[in-house]
Amino acid sequence: MPNHPMPNLHPVAPAAPIAPATAPRPVALELRDLTTVFPGDDGPVTVIDGVSLAVRAGGTLAVVGESGSGKSMTFLSALGLVATPGRVRRGEVRIDGTDILHQPPERLRRLRGAVISMIFQDPLTALNPVFTIGEQIVEVLRAHQRIGRAAARARAIDLLARVQIPDPVRRVDDYPHQLSGGQRQRVLIAMAIALSPRILIADEPTTALDVTVQAQILDLLADLQAETGMALVLITHDLGLVAKYADDVAVMYAGRLVETGSMEEVFTRPRHPYTRALFRSIPRLDGPVDEELPAIEGQPPNVARLPPGCAFEPRCTVGRGRADCCTRRPLPLAGDRSGHRSACFHEDLPDRKEAAR
Amino acid sequence: MDRLLRQLSQLAITVFGIVTVTFFLVRMIPGDPAQYMLGDYATEEALATLRAQLGLDQPVYVQYGLYVLRAVTGDFGSSVVTGRPALEEILFSLPDSAILAFAGLAVAVAIGIPLGILTAERQGSWSDMLIMIVALFGISFPVFWLGLASVLLFSQELKWFPALGASSGGGVLTHLHHLVLPAGVLGISVAAYITRLTRSAMLEVLGQDCIRVARAMGVPERRVVWRLALKNALVPILAIVGVTFAWSLGSAILIEVVFSRPGIGSMILKAVSARDYQLVQAGVLVLAVAVVLVNSLLDLAYGLVDPRLSTR
Repeated sequence: MPNHPMPNLHPVAPAAPIAPATAPRPVALELRDLTTVFPGDDGPVTVIDGVSLAVRAGGTLAVVGESGSGKSMTFLSALGLVATPGRVRRGEVRIDGTDILHQPPERLRRLRGAVISMIFQDPLTALNPVFTIGEQIVEVLRAHQRIGRAAARARAIDLLARVQIPDPVRRVDDYPHQLSGGQRQRVLIAMAIALSPRILIADEPTTALDVTVQAQILDLLADLQAETGMALVLITHDLGLVAKYADDVAVMYAGRLVETGSMEEVFTRPRHPYTRALFRSIPRLDGPVDEELPAIEGQPPNVARLPPGCAFEPRCTVGRGRADCCTRRPLPLAGDRSGHRSACFHEDLPDRKEAAR
Repeated sequence: MDRLLRQLSQLAITVFGIVTVTFFLVRMIPGDPAQYMLGDYATEEALATLRAQLGLDQPVYVQYGLYVLRAVTGDFGSSVVTGRPALEEILFSLPDSAILAFAGLAVAVAIGIPLGILTAERQGSWSDMLIMIVALFGISFPVFWLGLASVLLFSQELKWFPALGASSGGGVLTHLHHLVLPAGVLGISVAAYITRLTRSAMLEVLGQDCIRVARAMGVPERRVVWRLALKNALVPILAIVGVTFAWSLGSAILIEVVFSRPGIGSMILKAVSARDYQLVQAGVLVLAVAVVLVNSLLDLAYGLVDPRLSTR
């Protein structure tokens, strides 16, 4: 995860040409047309609709979008962890070129935690309250390896030291309620990296923590990534974090992918009207103090009742009421050779409000 | 230690409450003990003498005060029928009832907890629904009906088990043979309840974040359910067992009557119809204290299961 200086969060003309990509590293995780449905009152509701993404080894993909846009559900689907009665209807999840989604459950179980791992938003509830943190790390180790109790315990202490828990020899026998929120998230990271997975999915890992701890946790993840070369998926709605840590960005809306591209591309030239609106709603330090922040008009979408065309159409300042936007679904197509794609018919048109200014 | 002291003082207050409630409850049983003992043709004079002898001529609050004062010294009065100390009579038949209640509870726990876990694991499957329907029947059927039905089937028709008595004179094996039917009936009716409550406790835990995390780390489902989730569900399950202990003591009374077994239940029943105030009071008190004691022990056990409760 590169530690970029904070770029300007607003669409401006590119100051410098995008740096040419160095030798492309292999793709570690690839989602193809992933689609997840839940039964609803009027037939199945598609909560994840044809999401295709890729993360390179050693790279960081940030997945952004508002609450309920399907960021977490996409990766729970990829891990085969969709709670019943939901199910993945179609698509592939490729790790090193092999689809893991259509493997027997036991094989998928062996991959989870060992090859692809996940940490969650709320470290306060993510640890089991009635087991010591040592026991919980050992549980993960023993789920994948034949390892004796004493050796597993020693490994657990090593792992706690690696995530910078002070005095790990004593802390290993602590229960979660004896630890602070930041320490609990460190323990969860220790569990997630216990078997050196090649892919780590971090689902809003710092949302529940205070700001100073946030930076420590993300720097820890960046350090671990630099050491191990694992691919990192950072699910967040904090665009500041995206700018600081991500190589690539995927923007989701209503369970669909609306824009993907390199961080620099998406931040300097956002194409989809939703992405542009998202950036406009961020306060800027150098902006006028008394200016009201523009919010995205309308209500967040209800995935059970999406319009037949573009999901963003009812709130879109460009496409609202346009015949094509109302009837056909735009697909995320490559606009140029940089790999920057957006799912919009009219990405070249300016936003109406901007045009009026 | 602090915790133990608090537990004990709570126990003392509860027992005092039970003493008070049973005292007044028993006096609400209609009828006059003196009349009952001397028969319908007793003279007014004889009745008055007996009442004075039993202390029944004094105002209720004086009776209550005397009763509490004596109770503190362990004197719960004597049975008006046998003349022996009431507490002694009750404690003499306590083992019979305790064996039945604990045997029934053991059967209930052995059936109910595993079934509750299995159905939670397979929520929504046909086996889950089938077991839940059977459990609903188990809860709905009164225990005495189950007792009578099982006597008809297993004693009358199949002749597998004796229908009556506890065979206190026989050896351990005969005793166990007599215990199978009553404890089985008691256990099954309580098991239905434990199954349903264990299932809902497990379902709640299985929906928690920490379980999703364990699955995301590849912990096998069997360990997720039977170790990681079960230990979380143990506190509510223990609470359920505590509640059902009171219930199985209550049901044991009915079962004792159906199977003509000796025990506190049959003794209290006879004492009520004889207006034997002292014996009823002592009997209800002993049962209530047993329930309170078992629940206090369980309260202490919570601390062993859930570290958040013990370090506080």
